[in-house]
Formats: sequence, C-alpha cells, structure tokens
Amino acid sequence: MDWRDRLGRVGELLHEFYVVRHRGALARERRQEDDLFMLLVFSEMMGIENPSNYYTLELLPLLYEGFHEWHLRMGMDHSPLEHFRCC
Amino acid sequence: MNSLPLEGRSILFVGGKGGVGKSTTAAALALHLAESGEQILLVSTDPAHSLGDLFDTSVGDQKREIIPGLHALEIDPEQEIQRYLARVKSTMRHYVQPAMYSEIERQIELTRHSPGAEEAALMDRVTSLMEEGPTSHDRIIFDTAPTGHTLRLLALPEIMAAWTTGLLRSRERSASLGKAVDRLRGREEARGDELAWFDDVKEPATDERTQKIQEVLLERQQRFSRARRLLLDPKMTAFILVLIPEKLPILESEKMFKVLKRHKVPVAGVVVNRILPKNQTLGEFLESRRSQEAEYLERVEKAFAKLPRVQIPLLSHDVEGIDALREVAQHLEIDR
Repeated sequence: MDWRDRLGRVGELLHEFYVVRHRGALARERRQEDDLFMLLVFSEMMGIENPSNYYTLELLPLLYEGFHEWHLRMGMDHSPLEHFRCC
Repeated sequence: MNSLPLEGRSILFVGGKGGVGKSTTAAALALHLAESGEQILLVSTDPAHSLGDLFDTSVGDQKREIIPGLHALEIDPEQEIQRYLARVKSTMRHYVQPAMYSEIERQIELTRHSPGAEEAALMDRVTSLMEEGPTSHDRIIFDTAPTGHTLRLLALPEIMAAWTTGLLRSRERSASLGKAVDRLRGREEARGDELAWFDDVKEPATDERTQKIQEVLLERQQRFSRARRLLLDPKMTAFILVLIPEKLPILESEKMFKVLKRHKVPVAGVVVNRILPKNQTLGEFLESRRSQEAEYLERVEKAFAKLPRVQIPLLSHDVEGIDALREVAQHLEIDR
C-alpha cells in the first residue's frame, strides 16, 4: 500500500467519522418518528382515547413485527398491554 | 317557504328526536319521489329499524326492491364489522408469519366488541353508500338514528380526516428522514459495509410493508374527506329536520339545527309532524290541546324562521303500509 492509498484510506475514515454522526442523528430522529407513530396507533390499548381505534386495526398486521422492538425501546420488558401478548 | 327545496340534491338525511316520525317521513318522502318516477334508495341507520314495519314487509342489510323504483335497506353494523374483520384477517395472511396469526386474530376479535366499533362500522357503511348511492339511484335517503348519534356521525369524518392526516404526516417525515440517511450511506455502499458497526441505529426496512401502511392510511383519509365534501355540498346534500309541536322535540331540534349550522351541513327544511287536523271540531279536551299547540307552532316558526316548513296532520290511524304512507306523502310539499 503506497502513501497515496494510505492517505486515501485516512480521508475515507475521516469522512466516515464525520458522516456517521449525522447519519446516526437522522436515523435516530426517524426512529423517534416511527415510535410516535406506534404510540398513536396503539394509544387506545394503552388507555388513551383514540377515535380511530377501529380504523387503525387494519394497520395491525403491518405493524405487528415492529411491536416487540418498540416496547423494548420504550423501556418495557414485556408488552405493556395486558390483552396484547407479545413476549 | 312551504315546500322543501330538494332540486338536484341526491343525498338526503332525515333526522330528529326519537319518536317524532323520522322513519315515517323518510319513507313517505321516498315513496313520493319513487312514484314520481325517480330511482330511490332508502337507508335506515337507526339501530332500532322500523322501515320493514312501515312498509309491511321485511327489509335487511342488503338492498331490496319495495315497489318499482324504491329500494330499501337497514344497515346492520354487526355484519359490517364482520366484513371488515374478514378483510383485516386476509391482509394479515400476507404480512405476518403464521406463528403470529393467533395473537393477531385474538386482537381482531377483541375489536369486534370495543366501544365505538359499531359506530365506526356504521359510519363506514354510510360513507360508502353516500358515494355509491347517487351512481345507481337518483337519490339516496337516510333515515337517521336519534339526534346525538347522528351528530356524532356527521362530526366523525372531520375528526377522522384530521387523525389520518396526522398519521400520514408522521409517515412522510419518517420516509424523508430515511432518504436522507440513505444519501449519507451512498459512499459506504461503493466501499462495502465494513464500517457499518459505527451506526448505532438499525434501519427500519423501507419495504413493501411501509408502502402498504401509507396506502391504507391514504385510502382512509381520502374516503373520509370525500364523505365530508359530499356532506357539506349544498348542491348534493340536504338535511331535513322532523319534529312534533311539543316542547322537548322542539328544543332538541333547535339544538340540532345549531350544531348542523356550526358544521356547515346544509339544512333543507323542517317537517312539523302530527298537527291536530284543522277544520274539525275536536271536543273540549283536544281544543285546549290545540291552543297549546298553537304556541308551540309559533315557537317553531320563530326558531326556524329562515327554513322552509312543511306540516303533516295527525292521522286518525297508524301509519303502516303503502297506502297510509301515501296519505302522509300528499302533505309533503317538495320542489324536486
């Protein structure tokens, strides 16, 4: 590996070092948005009145697989919903 | 001002306090229009259906012909819920691993009995009938449930449209953040993913599933806003208030009128039902009743001064069967 390759490698690492933080921040923000979405959809199950409980049922099959990760992230080891078993 | 302006209005709602003759008025109106050569669909949304009794025949959840030109149906929320849940279950089979079926199915079954489910199902059916009705019939007439229920039904499209819009916006923000992340990732792909361990956040998959969530929400939102637009269009829709000249029905109709105005629902007029017949001596008892009625009629005139008012006299017999409905209908002055 000559010095040009080495320098290129260092440049790449610096770039990555810079970009990864922003990427992480954006990804985190996105995840927060998705978590909020989950909360809105599952709010009725958590006792918050939700006028659209019936209508959001059709989202359930689409969201179910993300449900486990969501409740773990929310700091709950088990499903917070007593009638909604997860793990 | 003594006829109901219904020209070109193809969606009619008939409403008022329980027991004032909403169904009778709606049925008589439907019969009258059908016998004038229109194709009419009469729909009861009241959980305590009475169209079948009025027409002396059986009416169910699917439309059936009562006389040539007049079809009727009585919405059964139970059956609507059934259809909806079946639809959700079939989506589930596409998106969920079979191991999870039973859990989700349990959740679906719980929804069947959740508060608000019947109302939501009813609303689903009403909105789809509002769209379909005018395509296959000249007019669709809704015999609505007592006041409170109906007002809620009118407000729901607004609430729901706001709700779904909020959810959609959240999904859009998520998607655009996702794109920004992908853009920063561009270099990495060329280089291979050896540095991916730097990322502390796992990516939610932007796949078919995300797409589908968006679609489902969008369809809901569009459906609600279409219903709302129809409901508020004075060229398409008219609300007819039915009352009898008594204190409580008048009070309730005044309240209802206020709410309708606030929601900007077009009101075509008032039907004052069961007025003691004129040109007839009624005896002392009923004459004193009549003088009280006169006061209430005055009150109706004041409260609904700007609305056309139509009067239907009290009949000597129950309104049941087509002939009796015709008798009522001849008092319904309509511009059509």
